[in-house]
Amino acid sequence: MKRYSQTTGEVGESSDLSPWKTADALDLVYVGYGLLIVVLVLVSYVLGAFTWLPYDPEQIRVDLLNAPPGSAGHLLGTDFLGRDILSRLIVGIQAYFLPGLLAIVISLLLGTTLGALAGYRSGEVETLVTYFNNLVDSFPRLVLILLVIAAFKPGIYYIMVVVGVTGVPAVASLIAGKIEFLAQKNFIEAAHVLGLPSRVILLKHILWHHCMPLLVIQATIGMGEAILIETSLSYLGFGVQEPTPSWGNMVQAGANYFFQGKFWPSTAPALSILFTILGFHLLGDGLNGILEGSAGK
Amino acid sequence: MILEVTNLRKHYRQRAGIFPALRSRERFIPAVDGVSFCLEEHETVGLVGESGCGKTTIGRAILRLTPATSGRIVFDGHDITAMSARELRPLRSQMQMIFQDLDAALNPKMRVRAILAEAITTHHRLSDGEVARRIGELLEQVNLKASKLSNFPRELAGGEKRRVGIARALAVGAHFIVADEPTSALDVSIQAQVVNLLRDLQRQLGLSYLFISHDLEVVQLISRRVAVMYLGKIVEMGLADRIARAARHPYTHLLWSALVEGQSKEASHAPLNTRTGAWEPFDFERPVSGCRFAPRCPVYEARGRPAVCTDAATEPQLHDIGGRHYVAGHFPV
Amino acid sequence: MGAPLLEIENLRTYFHSRSKRAFIRAVDGVTMVIARGETLSVVGESGSGKSVTALSIMGLLDAGPGVISGKITFRTDGGERNLLHDLEHYVTLGEQDGRIMEVSKDEAGWRKQVERIMAEVRGKEIAMIFQNPKSALNPFVTVGHQITEAIRLHTPTKHPREAKERSLYWLERVKMDSPRLRFDNYPYGLSGGMCQRAMIAMALSSEPALLIADEPTTGLDATIQSTIVGLLAELKSELGIATLLISHDIRVVSRLADDVAVMYGGTVVEYGPAPEILGARFGLKHPYTAALLASRPSAQNVEEKGGLPAIEGEVPDPIDVPRGCRFYARCNRVTEDIRDACARHEPALKELTPGHHVRCWLYGD
Repeated sequence: MKRYSQTTGEVGESSDLSPWKTADALDLVYVGYGLLIVVLVLVSYVLGAFTWLPYDPEQIRVDLLNAPPGSAGHLLGTDFLGRDILSRLIVGIQAYFLPGLLAIVISLLLGTTLGALAGYRSGEVETLVTYFNNLVDSFPRLVLILLVIAAFKPGIYYIMVVVGVTGVPAVASLIAGKIEFLAQKNFIEAAHVLGLPSRVILLKHILWHHCMPLLVIQATIGMGEAILIETSLSYLGFGVQEPTPSWGNMVQAGANYFFQGKFWPSTAPALSILFTILGFHLLGDGLNGILEGSAGK
Repeated sequence: MILEVTNLRKHYRQRAGIFPALRSRERFIPAVDGVSFCLEEHETVGLVGESGCGKTTIGRAILRLTPATSGRIVFDGHDITAMSARELRPLRSQMQMIFQDLDAALNPKMRVRAILAEAITTHHRLSDGEVARRIGELLEQVNLKASKLSNFPRELAGGEKRRVGIARALAVGAHFIVADEPTSALDVSIQAQVVNLLRDLQRQLGLSYLFISHDLEVVQLISRRVAVMYLGKIVEMGLADRIARAARHPYTHLLWSALVEGQSKEASHAPLNTRTGAWEPFDFERPVSGCRFAPRCPVYEARGRPAVCTDAATEPQLHDIGGRHYVAGHFPV
Repeated sequence: MGAPLLEIENLRTYFHSRSKRAFIRAVDGVTMVIARGETLSVVGESGSGKSVTALSIMGLLDAGPGVISGKITFRTDGGERNLLHDLEHYVTLGEQDGRIMEVSKDEAGWRKQVERIMAEVRGKEIAMIFQNPKSALNPFVTVGHQITEAIRLHTPTKHPREAKERSLYWLERVKMDSPRLRFDNYPYGLSGGMCQRAMIAMALSSEPALLIADEPTTGLDATIQSTIVGLLAELKSELGIATLLISHDIRVVSRLADDVAVMYGGTVVEYGPAPEILGARFGLKHPYTAALLASRPSAQNVEEKGGLPAIEGEVPDPIDVPRGCRFYARCNRVTEDIRDACARHEPALKELTPGHHVRCWLYGD
């Protein structure tokens, strides 16, 4: 049985309800969960800034190596150097968030610019952008990152610049496709006929009105990706370097003890990674469903 | 003379095969193939023809939405055929277009107020108060309720969308408007409103229209002169009443008889159009030499397929038959 | 003649708008009758519910809640059937001041039920042709093959060669130019007019009892339109097949229809023999019908280059159906005596002359 109902009162002249009011319940749950993760990240910064942590995340306790959760006031236990896992977990996200934002800003700015160039000025420019995209896309991302690390030094910001640049093609082709689709539309032609300069049409009618939700969604996905990349690099030993905690190097360090039955040092950060990436992806998914899905009645 | 189009051609390039670089396989589709006409001030010229005859392409070429392949378009004394976008911009305030598609013509993410305000401020720097006053004026001109200003286009009914489109064209101060099928997407009861509105605006503001439509009755009602197009060419042009009543080209006859026939049950077997069932999609790659209408022409059949009709050297050209009436045909009816 | 072929009683088909949290009352209590061998034409503007009525008959609605009440009696040689049999078991309606405000429907169950009822009706006893013939034909299968398949599926002719002969017969019947050649064509090789002919051939090949033609000429060029209308007129007189013709084009309707139903805002406002409804006597008509007929350019106003007598206002929004007469807001014939009734109460269909019904307070008691 499916129920449909009409709210009483006049419906005629009123405009549509906002997309948030009529959104799918599931999409709202997604967005809510995603926002919760974002809030938790911000909370972690506050806690870190005021050092309101249970313990100093880098304090080594030789007497408490790999202590199980709950022992001696360590809620999630300690790691192989006796450092408090909860404190490291809280601070650990900070290894990603700002670098991740950098990666997102790079890929969105560069991607939008290239996409706009390709979509709006077809011909030679489009071919050039396509070649650039293909070049970047055909290069294995990890190899590129390793090359950069070899050339400079293992630093999360170097890595994230590469992540940002390698994220450009996806954004560029998305934007270029959208622009090509919109350029056929009468309302863009009408704007040209009105005599608006191309730059205004591109910035206002195309990017601002029709690409914003797309970019926000792309940003959330980019954040999830940045975390994932750092984790894989940590596993290779090239991620955030000890003693600075990151979830990636925590999993890596803890994994050595996993088969000795000491699962907690790696499980806690692994789950954190899982739920955080899920959060960002669901945020993107939910926003997509609500903002983009609202176009049709 | 507000608009003068001379020998306008527009060929679309169609790439064939998987190697676009091999130009030899490229096909050129002549959407508009040498069209000349002019439009005087405060005049409405109707452009009729069936889908694919190139009438919309002419409108788009005049507004430079698509570059012309060759020919000359002179608007208000300026040759705009090869003007740069920058040079053209000031002229944009004088020529506008009403688009056929109601929904695609308005930015779906902008409210009506923003759409109008944008058009008003495109060519003039105005204060908010002046913009608001101008919006009020436009609303009155197109007879739209002020409560609609805060609506998005999708929340409007068909006729209201059309009114917003017209108001936008007026907002920049245009006095020449290309109206591309302005009524075809509308309901019958709304069509009459829009036709009346366009006529009233013409009278009040002294507008000139190029009225593109396949609706012969509406064109006849609103236009002073009518040009009939067939496959990229004008085959007949003249005063609306003469085209309707004393058409000379067999194709014009066919168009009008389809209409008259609809009005009476009895005339359902007019001899002129018994063969239209066999019309195939026109193959631009193997164009008929000579008269393009010959393969479908009842006169061509009736006269025993004279050779002059399919002789490439004698493609009929528009010629004056008196009373500003032009026909392109070997055997005017 | 006997009992009519198809009888629609009080059909209601609603959809639901998420963004307005309201019902789209697309078809709101439609009653009409199609006699054997006659053409009933449904005339109306966008949003009047004419196409939704056709889709409701065919059970081809995807969006919910869809058909929520009514009865469609279909009488063939095989007996009498209600195409909405047992609908009330799947739907519960909640009313508030005489207006449906809540619907609960077991959609999956109803879908199954519709498929059970319609399996032997759709395409076989009721065939349909659509507005856009190109998209209604399968682009990857030749026209001839599609018709042959339809024949083998719906008629006793099962042998491939016989079925092919039969489909060639139908292609000839619809005056397809060189049918043997066209038989092996794919739809993209045919013009719009030829595709529509192929669609008609396919629809007729299963020898249905009822043909539903939804805007069969809209979107075709004027010259092609008139030949298709001519073909339909010819087939009608030769085959005598009952037809439900849906169109907004009064010219097409006046050539083909025996009876006309004028729809406005989801209901039938006028219903009767075509000559009476489309004829020149404007007096005895629903004000909407009269205004609609007058709003097309006529010889007279073209002559005078005068304005058109337009109907003011907009086509009603099926979300916001007025309480009183649906045409009240745009009507120019409201008199002071009936104004109150027009605004508050919806008039019933009244029989003016035998067979001619009008839903208007002007023709009150």
